[in-house]
Amino acid sequence: MRSTRLAPAAAVIAALALSATACSTKSGTDASSAGSDGVKTGPGVTEKTITLGALTDLTGPYASLGKSIVNAQQLYVDQLNASGGICGRTVKITVKDHGYDVQKAVSAFTETEPNVAAVSQMVGSPVVSSLSQELESKHLLTFPMAWASTLLGGEYVQVVGSTYDIDMINGVDHVVRTAKLKAGDKIGHVYFEGEYGKNALAGATYAAKKAKLKVVGQKIKPTDQDLTAQVTALKQAGVKAILISAGPRQTAALVGTAAAAGFAVPVLTSSPGFAPQLLATPVGPALEKMLQVVSPAPAFTDNPAMQKLAKDYKAKYPKDLLDPGVVSGWNAISVLGEDLKAACKAKDLTREGIAAAHRKQSRLTVLGVPLDFSDRTKPATYRSFIHKPAKTAPGGLTNVEPAHEVPAARTYALPKG
Amino acid sequence: MIKLTETVLNGLALGSVYALIALGFVVIFKASGVMNFAHGSLLLFGGYVTARLHDAIGFVSAVLVGAALAAALAGLVQLLATRGLRGAEIHTLTILTIGVDVLLSTELNRQVGADYLTMGDPWGADVTRLGSITVADARLASIVVAVVVISAFFAAFRWSRWGLSMRSAAADPEAAALMGIRLDRVRLIAWCVAGALAALAAVFLAAFPAPGLDRTTSQIALSAFPAAILGGMDSAVGALVGSLVIGLTAAMAAGYQSELSVLGAGFSDVAPYLVMVLVLLVRPTGLFGSKELTRV
Repeated sequence: MRSTRLAPAAAVIAALALSATACSTKSGTDASSAGSDGVKTGPGVTEKTITLGALTDLTGPYASLGKSIVNAQQLYVDQLNASGGICGRTVKITVKDHGYDVQKAVSAFTETEPNVAAVSQMVGSPVVSSLSQELESKHLLTFPMAWASTLLGGEYVQVVGSTYDIDMINGVDHVVRTAKLKAGDKIGHVYFEGEYGKNALAGATYAAKKAKLKVVGQKIKPTDQDLTAQVTALKQAGVKAILISAGPRQTAALVGTAAAAGFAVPVLTSSPGFAPQLLATPVGPALEKMLQVVSPAPAFTDNPAMQKLAKDYKAKYPKDLLDPGVVSGWNAISVLGEDLKAACKAKDLTREGIAAAHRKQSRLTVLGVPLDFSDRTKPATYRSFIHKPAKTAPGGLTNVEPAHEVPAARTYALPKG
Repeated sequence: MIKLTETVLNGLALGSVYALIALGFVVIFKASGVMNFAHGSLLLFGGYVTARLHDAIGFVSAVLVGAALAAALAGLVQLLATRGLRGAEIHTLTILTIGVDVLLSTELNRQVGADYLTMGDPWGADVTRLGSITVADARLASIVVAVVVISAFFAAFRWSRWGLSMRSAAADPEAAALMGIRLDRVRLIAWCVAGALAALAAVFLAAFPAPGLDRTTSQIALSAFPAAILGGMDSAVGALVGSLVIGLTAAMAAGYQSELSVLGAGFSDVAPYLVMVLVLLVRPTGLFGSKELTRV
């Protein structure tokens, strides 16, 4: 009896093993072949098209950001295709929504992975963390929509722009200079639990130590809506400035509460902590007065490339707001677009070819920002812009300090991922 | 001292909003035995209506319409439960509210999108200074409105015919029905009252210093859960006391986070639940909940 039961099981296992090996060869180099034009191709690339993947959040907590990223990347691809595509092939993006659910993201990835050449966006640090090993083993160049420096170091996972900690180091320097902070002063840091907050706090703590300041930390959760208690505590501690690494809602709650408490200290956030929608609320005026945003990207009015993006985006999506997602999405797809062009030139559109072309990009300028991807362990740029909210400006931000890098950003030891 | 006063004021303001929500939980539970998990989306719905209408019809009318529509929607859920699923177990109805919540919140999330909807309230970003203490006017208003509304509720509960029917229906549904009390109507009104209270709470949750109503506002309703349970799920007074305890605990734990750092960061999120568990250990039916008597 026993052996007859075991036999089908063994057969199933054998079949699974066979199919597993079949799958793995499909996405490896073995599957690559040269097309009629002499260009080596791999998964996701046919004679006529190059397919990119996008794992995003269109229904979960980051839905608005996800939508802007998808829109911006589609805009880029449309323009690219209108100008002839890559190696005579049309580029298209397969977008999958995971609603910020890691399980859904993993199944969506399993479904799309065999048919894409690279991933133009992956939203959500938890999603990136759970898939990063797989991305490395499948040699799939991926642009995460997360900027923790712990994501650096992989050959195939590529953060575009400066990281949260570097932004905070540059930001603290700006606050120290403009608010004339002295040794011994205290600064508050309200931060989300998780990778984003932790990474930003690491940078802020380092910069504060360099400037001989003391950081008063307040950890919050993404579901926290009311920051009155935190503001009261920071006011009591006598902080001279506040950093916040959280979502737009928390930034608004913090600034609103501080303004209400007559506690008018400068507040600095990084770009995930700001949304232009906030400026139309009762907190808007307080934000314009107190908030500054440190960002790896310029404001929409800063240079011709940004102005063109704003104009093209508005023309294609007249109803949608210009927000940080538009810039992040555009940045990632522009880098990938340049990688594809370089890979095409080298006649190698396999995954490995695209990644190799990417690693050679040491002097790439996207939206006026020079990026260097040659060292995978370092951020592509150490420079950050400082903006301030302005209701009438496109994207709700105007620049107050052009991109700059402080020496502390280079001496800071990046955390290991 | 200033910090303590500010923290206590904040705790009271928070507690008063929780009370509006927790009373809704309790009223529904008392009348129909159902835990209403759709309360958060009812709250969001009421707030959404107010936010969309205030430009056209003014703040006060918008709040009234919002409360009325939220009441109607809550009533509809109850009608669905009693007419459509007559005779279903209480547990089934409780699970039904989870389903309603999923449907309603999905649609509302789609409507609200990435926006922060303002309530158009007259307090705006104004603040009042009492000596060296500063409090947002919207916060003070929330305390005042909650006191007025909750007093009115208790008066109705104590002296109106509906209050009497409601109390007798809760004490013994069968006897109440035999005495000619129309249970369905009592329950319907209870659901409507809860819906209206939730809509009112939404207005204060979205008012300054919060940026406005957004898709996450409904999650606040969850914070009022420990308040209702702590006070005793079937006691209106309990809901009130529970809300104040939870509001003050949350404000204190967050306000004195650095002093409490031995307990780990983020203690303020756990504190309300910790208080709830401690109270339940001593009084399993909550502070004011009625004891269950079982005769052998």
